[in-house]
This record gives sequence, structure tokens and C-alpha cells, in this order.
Amino acid sequence: MRRCAPRIRSFALTAGMAAMTSLFGLAAQAQQPVCSAWLIESSRFMNVPFGSFMPDRTFVPGSTKPESNIASVDLPVNVGVIKCGSELILYDTGWKQQDYLKMTGSDHWAPLPDQLKALGFNAADVTKVVIGHAHWDHAGQLSDLPNAVLYVQREELKAIEWALNYPEPHIRAVNSDPGGCNRTPACGYMPLTVEEVYGKVLKGKAVIVDGEMEILPGVRIHPAFRAHTAGSQLLEVPTSIGKLVFGSDAFSSYEGIRDWMTANVQQTDTVQQFLAYEKCYKITGGYNNCVAAHEPLSYTDKYPLTKNSWVALNGGRMAELTLAPGEKSRKP
Amino acid sequence: MLLAGVVVALAATAGAAWLHEIRPRSQSALQTFNARAEKAQLPALTADEERFATTLWAVHREATRSAVALSFAGITYQTEDRDAQAFARKIEPLAKFFHDAEMQVRAMSAPPSLSKTQSQYVDAMALYANAATEMLKFAEDGDSQRLQVAHSLDVKASEYMLRVGEVLWPGQYKPH
Repeated sequence: MRRCAPRIRSFALTAGMAAMTSLFGLAAQAQQPVCSAWLIESSRFMNVPFGSFMPDRTFVPGSTKPESNIASVDLPVNVGVIKCGSELILYDTGWKQQDYLKMTGSDHWAPLPDQLKALGFNAADVTKVVIGHAHWDHAGQLSDLPNAVLYVQREELKAIEWALNYPEPHIRAVNSDPGGCNRTPACGYMPLTVEEVYGKVLKGKAVIVDGEMEILPGVRIHPAFRAHTAGSQLLEVPTSIGKLVFGSDAFSSYEGIRDWMTANVQQTDTVQQFLAYEKCYKITGGYNNCVAAHEPLSYTDKYPLTKNSWVALNGGRMAELTLAPGEKSRKP
Repeated sequence: MLLAGVVVALAATAGAAWLHEIRPRSQSALQTFNARAEKAQLPALTADEERFATTLWAVHREATRSAVALSFAGITYQTEDRDAQAFARKIEPLAKFFHDAEMQVRAMSAPPSLSKTQSQYVDAMALYANAATEMLKFAEDGDSQRLQVAHSLDVKASEYMLRVGEVLWPGQYKPH
């Protein structure tokens, strides 16, 4: 009996600690804000050969197989709008069409401040911008968000600088030939876009992230290095329908995540892209809450998370993904 | 009678479904057509213009890289080392490149139809060169206002380069 007493005390102590830990855990969870989220179609790249977007969906003339009978697709450029209490976060910022940058072949572009206004938000009220990566069509319009703090991975910046200083000119070039840059390491980082990133750094409004970071309770950046670019990053967001994970071009295609097919290969290690898909499955419990940047089925029933949609400015579409308790719908 | 009714109902449902399926495709086709029509409106370059575009591309390829390198020198300085000497060592070759590029493009023979385009490119190189000069002065005197000035010049220069690109190489940036 005496021999048992210390064991009982030890058990009681451990059980007590476990109970306290659980209670604190529950309390911490209860403090986590539940966020609302919307998706904005910043623009649409029209008539893109399906095979250039998803190699396993290359069009085969005459084929009746569903994976090879679609010649081209229209790719939305999706921007995530996330409201957690008084914080307004954007995930990616699209690109800025100008009279000197029309991107022939794109359609439905509208200025991001106007699109935010259509949702009832003010661009000046955006507090944080997390860019999935720094390509020109995902990290534009930063100067139109004057008060937002930019979050970018150090790995992303280091990889661009490495490429720029590589001795072989075809590898270091941002654009290696007049037809484009054919997936070279610095391809896609337009001078004006990088200058906008630098503008945020100069104003002291940039956070250089090393790997994982919680930017608000429950709102967490996850590294997805080389899943699209060297410093790709995901954003986990707690909502009333479970956790969402925004993936930018690490999650270019919802169908790709669902069916385990690679998409939008640029500076991409396809193994890492699959691991990024897996991360979404692990965080959200499936593929339905993974938010894709260029899914052609966006804003339709075939991509259920985005089906609560409507047509907004200049024919671009928007979707209300989920609302926090008490948050009013912004769907017209 | 009942069978006929079922057949009619099925036919109506199939028809509605077919219309539902084809409507978005028709819109998509129209948008594609519009995009193509817009593309068709861009005038093709003449042989002389093509020659100028090809000659200028050799400069542009390195100028684009150097422009991004200029921004990165600033980013690295601010976020990594704050080493003014290392900063200056990165900027010096870029300043020389943009100064030389300005002279080189100015000396190129452009067809009259592209003289404005050529001037814009010369201006872009001059703006980048001035920005680099400001950054070098900052490395000497530490006046951070110079970095703001350089940033404004860089933004303007980047816009000028894009204006030229829109005329000579409209497909240089692809969906990413």
C-alpha cells in the first residue's frame, strides 16, 4: 500500500496537469477569432492551352477522355480577402493593368481598390498582405494598399537574388527571349513588381518571414518552398466552416489538388507541390477548403467552396466563401 | 399518353440542360474572340521595326535583370546587413551598366515610327542611372531621403520600360 502511494500521487499530478493543459488549450481555441473570407477575380487570362497549365490535361485532338478533350481554359487570377475582427488581410494582390501593361489576352481586370469597395471595404483599411509568392500577377498593386504590412518569405527574396547573380546569362535573365522566359529562375519577377515590394520595405511596412509564422491568433503562414517558387507560402485561416488554406500558385488548380495532378509549373519542384497539397489535406481534413489561385472552375458549382458567387466589376467575379458569426453578407 | 408525356418532359429537360451547358461556353467563346480581336488590332511591326526590336532586346534582357538587381540591392541592405560598403559594391556596376546602356540605345538607329519608343527607352536608362547615383550618394552620406528619391526614379523607369515593351514585345510577361 505504501509502495502504491507515490504512484497514485504521480498519477494524480500528471492527470491534473493534463486537465489544466486541455483547459488552457480550449481557452486558447475559444480566443481564436473566426474569420470571414471572400474571393475576388482580379482578372482572367483567356484561352490558355490546358496542357500548358496542367501537363496531365494536355489536349489530344479527337480524344473523348475527360482528361484530354479540353483544348483551352480561362484562368482567373484570384485574390483572397480575409476579415478577422478588425483586421483585413489580403492573400495575393493580382496585377495592375495600365495603358502600358495591357496583357493582351487577359480580360475582366478591375482596380483592386474598386473591387474592395464593391465588397464594402476600403483599400486603406487593409492591415496585412500575405503574398503567396512575388510573381508579377500575384504581388502587384501593393502601392494601392498604403497601410498594409507585407509578409514575404526570405527564401523567396534570396532565390531571386541568387538567380540574378548567376553567371550564365540565360539563367540570370528575368526575360531570356522576346517570347518570354520559359520558366527560368528569375522569370516572372517584373522590375515594377519588385520595386513595389522594395517600396514596402523602404516604408518599414514589410515583414520578412522565415518559415512558419502566426500573424494573428489561428491565422498562420506555412512555408511551401519550391511548391511553385522558391519561397512560396500558404495561409491557414480559421473559419466557421473549418480551416481554409489559401495557396496561391502552390494550389493553382483545385482539380489538381483533388486529383493529385501538378499545375502551373514555373520555378516548381512538383514533389514539393504535392507535399503542399498534402499539407492542405492535413490542415483542413480534405481538399474542399483549399483555395486555388487559377482554378478554371472557380465561381461555379464544380468548385463548391466558391459557388456562392456573383459577377462584379468589369465582368470579374467574386465569391463569399464563409462568414463569421454576426458578419453580414456582402453579396449583392 | 403517359409515355408520350414522359418523353416530352425528358426532351424538355434535356433541352434545358443543353442550353445551360452551352451558354457559358458561348460567352467564353465571345470573350476569347474579343481578346483575339484586341490582339489583331495591334499593328504588326515592319521589317525595320523588327530589326530595331531585336537589337534593343539584347540591351533590354540585361536591363531588366539590372533593374531587378537594383531593387534587390536596396531590399538586402534594409533587411539583411545594413552594410553601406557592400551596398555600394552592388550598385556601382549597375550604375555603369545603365549609363552605358543609355548611350548605347541613344546611338541606335531606329526607324522614324519608333523614334518616340527609342526616346522612352533612353529616358528609362537615364532614370535608372540617376537612381543608382542617388543610391551611391546614400552609401556615402547615409541620407535615407536619397533612397526614397531613387525609388521614385526606379518606378518611373520601370513604367517607361513597360511602355516600350508594350510596343515591341507585348508577350514578354506571361501568366504565372
